[in-house]
Amino acid sequence: MIYKFESIDYTNKTFPRRFLEKMDWMLFSIVALLVLSGLVAVYSAIRNFESPEKFLTTQIIAVILGFVGLLIFLTLNYQYYRQIPYFIYISSFLLLALVLVFGIKIRGTKGWFSLFYFSFQPVEFAKIMFILVLAGYLDRRWREIKRLSTVFISLFLLLGHVILILMQPDFSSTLVYFPVTLILLYVVGAELLYLLAIVLFGGLAAGIPLMATYFRMQPEFLGTHPVINFIVIATRGGWQALVVLLGIILILTIVWWFLNQLRISIPFLYLIILSGIIVFGSISSVVVQKSLREYQRKRLIVFLNPEIDPLGAGYNIIQSKIAIGSGQLLGKGLFSGTQSQLGFLPEQHTDFIFSMIGEETGYFFSQLAIILYFLLVWRALIIARDARDRYGSLVATGIASMFAFYGIINIGMVMGLMPATGLPLPFLSYGGSCMVSSLCAIGILFSIQIRRYTH
Amino acid sequence: MVWQQEHKLSYESFLEKYRIVTICFLGAFLLLSLRLLHLQVIRGKYYKSVSEEQRTQIILERAARGLIYDQNNRIIVGNRTAFVALFYPFTQEAELPKELLTRLSKIFDIKDLSSQIATGWRKGQVVRLAENLSREDMFRIQEQRLVIPGISVVKESRRNYNFPEANSHLIGYLNEISRKELNNLKNEGYKMGDWVGQRGLEEVYDSLLRGRDGGWQIEVDAFGRQTRLVKHIPSFIGNSLYTTINLDLQKVAYEELKKSPTGRGAVIGLDPRSGAVRIFVSCPGFNPELSFSKEFKNYLTDNELPLFNRTIQALYPPGSLFKVITFVAAVAEEKIDLEKEIVCKGKFYFGKKTYNCWEKKGHGKISLIPALAKSCNVYFYHLGLKTHVDTISKYARRFRLDKPTGIEIPSEKVGLVPDKKWKKEKLDEVWLPGDTINMAIGQGPLWFSPVQVAVMMASIANKGTFYKPYILEKVISPQGDVVRQVGKDKLGEIKLEDNVWDLLHLGLREVVRDGTGQWCKFKTLEVAGKTGTAENPHGEDHAWFSAYAPADNPELVLVVIVENGGSGGSVAAPIARKIFKEAFREQTKRDW
Repeated sequence: MIYKFESIDYTNKTFPRRFLEKMDWMLFSIVALLVLSGLVAVYSAIRNFESPEKFLTTQIIAVILGFVGLLIFLTLNYQYYRQIPYFIYISSFLLLALVLVFGIKIRGTKGWFSLFYFSFQPVEFAKIMFILVLAGYLDRRWREIKRLSTVFISLFLLLGHVILILMQPDFSSTLVYFPVTLILLYVVGAELLYLLAIVLFGGLAAGIPLMATYFRMQPEFLGTHPVINFIVIATRGGWQALVVLLGIILILTIVWWFLNQLRISIPFLYLIILSGIIVFGSISSVVVQKSLREYQRKRLIVFLNPEIDPLGAGYNIIQSKIAIGSGQLLGKGLFSGTQSQLGFLPEQHTDFIFSMIGEETGYFFSQLAIILYFLLVWRALIIARDARDRYGSLVATGIASMFAFYGIINIGMVMGLMPATGLPLPFLSYGGSCMVSSLCAIGILFSIQIRRYTH
Repeated sequence: MVWQQEHKLSYESFLEKYRIVTICFLGAFLLLSLRLLHLQVIRGKYYKSVSEEQRTQIILERAARGLIYDQNNRIIVGNRTAFVALFYPFTQEAELPKELLTRLSKIFDIKDLSSQIATGWRKGQVVRLAENLSREDMFRIQEQRLVIPGISVVKESRRNYNFPEANSHLIGYLNEISRKELNNLKNEGYKMGDWVGQRGLEEVYDSLLRGRDGGWQIEVDAFGRQTRLVKHIPSFIGNSLYTTINLDLQKVAYEELKKSPTGRGAVIGLDPRSGAVRIFVSCPGFNPELSFSKEFKNYLTDNELPLFNRTIQALYPPGSLFKVITFVAAVAEEKIDLEKEIVCKGKFYFGKKTYNCWEKKGHGKISLIPALAKSCNVYFYHLGLKTHVDTISKYARRFRLDKPTGIEIPSEKVGLVPDKKWKKEKLDEVWLPGDTINMAIGQGPLWFSPVQVAVMMASIANKGTFYKPYILEKVISPQGDVVRQVGKDKLGEIKLEDNVWDLLHLGLREVVRDGTGQWCKFKTLEVAGKTGTAENPHGEDHAWFSAYAPADNPELVLVVIVENGGSGGSVAAPIARKIFKEAFREQTKRDW
């Protein structure tokens, strides 16, 4: 890496001038292209709805608002956000809390404010505010990054949001929070061991209830083998779970002892930590078990094997795969996808917009969409690399990771690689809040990017 | 570039991790791309077909099957129009009114109409509500304005059988294709729910008779509602079969068998000049129209075995009919002096056993021709002993009695011609002269199907040529083209001296003129034939009569068997006479 230090003084130039010369036009073109294709795709998806013009105007207004937001955030100096972490965090917390009181319910989730013509989903904005706050916190604390307390406070910030979102209840929207937090901790330089411990803990806490549900949906597992039988029952808690836990700890201890005998010495502390994580993870799984709804657990299970429940929870994924696959190389033609236009595809204008694109435009365009999406993430990462300070790099990394995970989870889901979650695909899916907040996030990226040389 | 106001090292440590993150993201998006390639390019064809399948529904329009004609272009099996009530789940929007449903269920005569409709609605399938609506029902539905979207009455083609029972074994019946048949026939365009022929011509020529199903191809949405009609594929009727059968003779034969003492038996009629089958009757028959109903199962438990095709599947001991073979063997091998007379006193002593003649008081002095005519057992006991078992067997085989005739109706059974070797191998016993004595008059381990006897008799009538019996003469496509033309098929020949034929023909004429076959005598038509009364250890004798007419220029060979009917002369021969009388109607007008 060559560090060249350009000594050209830009301060003399006016802001618009600087903006035009130094802005990442490639990123802008990618975003514009995605937004435009999104409008066409949404139109195709909603043209058979009852009042398509209403959907379309909403989306167009969201795009316009989003670009206004983009301009506003571009002009605001991102460094300012670092000065007001409490304000940002408390206001995001308030947004999420207020929606639980004053929000309206759409499909069982109390996650929307109703504002005259629009409904507005605060969680879309809270995500970005969270990235700004976390990046700021990690930037201040980077010297103490190796400490456990830093990791804990980061997780505490995360939980503040996640718990409020789960109370809506909106399981899917929390999904992006976890990887973004972990990646930010990682790039700042947090102890890898802590992060792995968190992942293990989270895996246990979420995995055990999932396994219990999975076994319940496939009762033929019971009775195949006494040991398997025992484990299956253990996933539901009770004394069997205790026995399994103790067994695992015992096995770990024996392995540790053996390794010690073989002169591969591992500190005893690690064994304690590992066992502790397993125990606490398992205990937390009971909490998760209680807080997850049955349908949410089923959704996660179904991605493993959609055929378990082809007419229920698996229906969406099966239909989505059929839609994408049947598009073949060249697609069925815009506006003439049978899966989407005849209503086989669920949520075709929001979460499953990519399936519709796949069906109607075929392989070449869908691959292009994926490439465009990756280019978006890549440009955001370039901005992170070139930012003038750590805070800018961290915010850009956070936003880049957010978009990356939106894309991976959503596109992965519609192709049957990921659980069926209700996560939109930014810029392409129908949904005003998501569109506006995503464009605002791009504005923040530009703000970081055009200020990379200013002093 | 480096962060301002920061140490270079901390930026580099960030960069290091940042690169790993970038690579991970790149990997994840590559994975997505690979999955896309897999779904759309590699598996694309499969998903395309799945998506097509779930958006199109076909409302089947069953094609009419081809017609089957007799020798004189009269219809043996035709088609008629049936009215069928169907429920289409594609157009109905709301629940059907209750009161209407109860009225409809009265007409259709089904109790759970609404539940049937609900099932069809749920599965998105067409439900057949009523199969055979009468014209009156049709009008009632229309008059009372019970025609509602979703339920409609359509015309469908059904089989219409002429003399269904008489022709049942010839024609066969239709049934829905079974899973096993479907597995075998899948590649030939058969599909679930198809009707396929079972037994008889319907089975053998199913692929010719079945037309091409058509239907309405409609596009449905995810809720199973019709969004548009894609296209109508017209159905095409199948090919017509023109057969060698004579419908009148079929009818007479079946009626006469029905009137016979047991009502069980078979009649085969062949044209000895070609092998064309004129009569193919097994009695009792069944009603093929019942094949879709539950009553059809009753046939399976019926003691009279109405589904048993006696013409080709039943094997009977030939009884005195077999004397024809013994006769030919002896004459051809010159084992006998024609003029030599033997005294028949009703009994024949050989070893420690006594063998009876059917005429208890005996035939007295008798020579070869009268012995055949009167079917004298004692004479043939002598003849058999002189001729030797293996010679008789050889001639039986030369008359192809050990081979299938090759008639196109499936599942033909083959008879048995025993000899010394057979007894040694099968029973591990030595052939005794007593066995030869029995065999000479057609008793013992000896049995043939009626169609085999018919082919034997036809070869006698035409002096030695074997033709494969055939029923299908030609196949005409709906456009009028000849698809297939079938003619006589010579299977083989038996070469004998002319004097052997002459003598045999003379003997067979004598049978009818002055012997056991007098019940088949006409003043205006000379018939030659041979009776048989086959002893049957399980019950009454089987009555056989096999004949051809006119004797000097045979046109029709008949085989009549009445199972457990008794005497061939008095039971089977009169039936043959009735059939000959119908066949040679003009000529025998003045006869009784």
